[in-house]
Amino acid sequence: MPLLEVQELSKRFGGLVANDRINLQVNEGEIIGLIGPNGAGKTTLFNCIAGFYPPSEGTVRFKGENITGLPANEVCLMGIARTFQIVRVFKDMTVLDNVMVGAFNRTNLAAKAKQKALEVLDFCGLSPKKGMLAGGLTIADKKRLEFAKALATAPSLLMLDEAIAGLNQTETAEAVELVKKVRQSGISILLVEHVMEVVMPISDRVMVLDYGKKIAEDAPERVINNEEVIKAYLGDKYHASRRGH
Amino acid sequence: MGRNKNQWIWLAIGAILLLIYPLILTLPFPRHLMIMIFLYASLGLAWNLIGGYAGQISFGHAIFFGTGAYTSTLMLMKGGISPWVGMLAGGLISIGIAFIIGYPCFKLAGHYFAIATIAIGEIAQQWMLNWDWAGAAVGLTLPILPESLINLEFHSSKVPYYYIAFGIFALSILITYWIDRSKLGYYFKAIKGDLEAARSLGIDVTRYKFYALALSAFFTSLCGSFYAQYVLFIDPDSVFPLILSIVICLIATLGGVGTIWGPVIGAFILIPISEFTRIHFGGGGKGTDLIIYGFLIMVISIYQPFGVIGLSKLFKKKEAQ
Repeated sequence: MPLLEVQELSKRFGGLVANDRINLQVNEGEIIGLIGPNGAGKTTLFNCIAGFYPPSEGTVRFKGENITGLPANEVCLMGIARTFQIVRVFKDMTVLDNVMVGAFNRTNLAAKAKQKALEVLDFCGLSPKKGMLAGGLTIADKKRLEFAKALATAPSLLMLDEAIAGLNQTETAEAVELVKKVRQSGISILLVEHVMEVVMPISDRVMVLDYGKKIAEDAPERVINNEEVIKAYLGDKYHASRRGH
Repeated sequence: MGRNKNQWIWLAIGAILLLIYPLILTLPFPRHLMIMIFLYASLGLAWNLIGGYAGQISFGHAIFFGTGAYTSTLMLMKGGISPWVGMLAGGLISIGIAFIIGYPCFKLAGHYFAIATIAIGEIAQQWMLNWDWAGAAVGLTLPILPESLINLEFHSSKVPYYYIAFGIFALSILITYWIDRSKLGYYFKAIKGDLEAARSLGIDVTRYKFYALALSAFFTSLCGSFYAQYVLFIDPDSVFPLILSIVICLIATLGGVGTIWGPVIGAFILIPISEFTRIHFGGGGKGTDLIIYGFLIMVISIYQPFGVIGLSKLFKKKEAQ
């Protein structure tokens, strides 16, 4: 049984079809990359799975249970945590308090939440900054904190919405290491990125969306040679000239 | 750890000073002044739970104050029930009202919530002005009963009122202190910080807003019942006016929202201003205190948006450097 199973999921905003009958499976311990050009519907799919939008059609199953249309907080309680493309840290709270909010997902006791938060901060390499106000962090640290908050909710599936985009090379390498470390601890990951270089080396499988449709799903090295994908990213002209060679 | 220890020492000193205060200052006015400070500090602390911690600005808290005042008074007058029971009943009814207000209004974001609470406050006042059974615009004069703790009436001295007000004040601080350090406090702050992020971390946002408003309403209502027993006369203009809601909000805002001591500081600054101008100018100077409040709020919002308590943090930072 897959951990997450999305079946025939569609999401329409008025006449715009943001997601068109998407099927997706995430198995335990997998890292799945979700890529596609801007406006392909990646974040919409994310929001549908995480309970921020109700899907127009289709079902989302998690650990065998139907979670379609459940509100976001209940989805989180089920074990799906997400980060936001534009970081949403609680800027007037300290780094530790930010992560504690996440940790309270699994406990009512402040002492336990604090202990869990400290562990997560240590895991993410944020311990030295635990006393700082989150608003004063650099963008790289904010992204890391966003990650830590989600991790503190003790998820079985972590969904990262462009957690790496916008970081410099060193920061990117660190973030990639962190993602790998999370997987090693037994948490599956669904990764949205539109930077191919990041997704390809760490994903077990890559799914490509374009105009709301799934156009490919395969191992990373096969996806980059997929004609449809090249067309989606680079346009028909390049695709045509490539064929000519 | 050293700072914590110091904190407790200061707290103990403060508590002792406040406990012996009415024994040293025996005139009625200083005692009355401190009773009002306790009352408004408690109101500010109660407002702070929903307005400060959870970030849902309410301009309708007079509803809960009035509900407390009217519930205990009506139960006493119509049923001869002890005001203490009435106080508790008022608190519970206020929680009920909080749910009725919260259900539609929590769907509104930011300023719209604040505007809705103004409207609901006005409706409540108009209702009470026309409700004959509850005294309508004439108000209710409480019966003079023999003084005792059970009757919650004391005529020969303000000292018992002083200690009861102190008790309510201390309880409000303890509750705030507990909330500040518990899951509730963290969730309230998260809701204030970012609604969507709060949701994504498993917080049932509407439920926790309800908790904040219910707690806030309950403690505001206790203050209302106490006020009725202290003044022994209530009418819709004294316990349901918009200006009361605004003063409660100002106290917390001036002192510093979302902190334990902010509303206390606010009350210690604003209530003496209000009481002294009342004495100085009498009825002709009505509103002088509000002019000064307005000015202080402007100064605070320009120079120190975190309230007076923000100043102390500023000093601490300088010390550290």
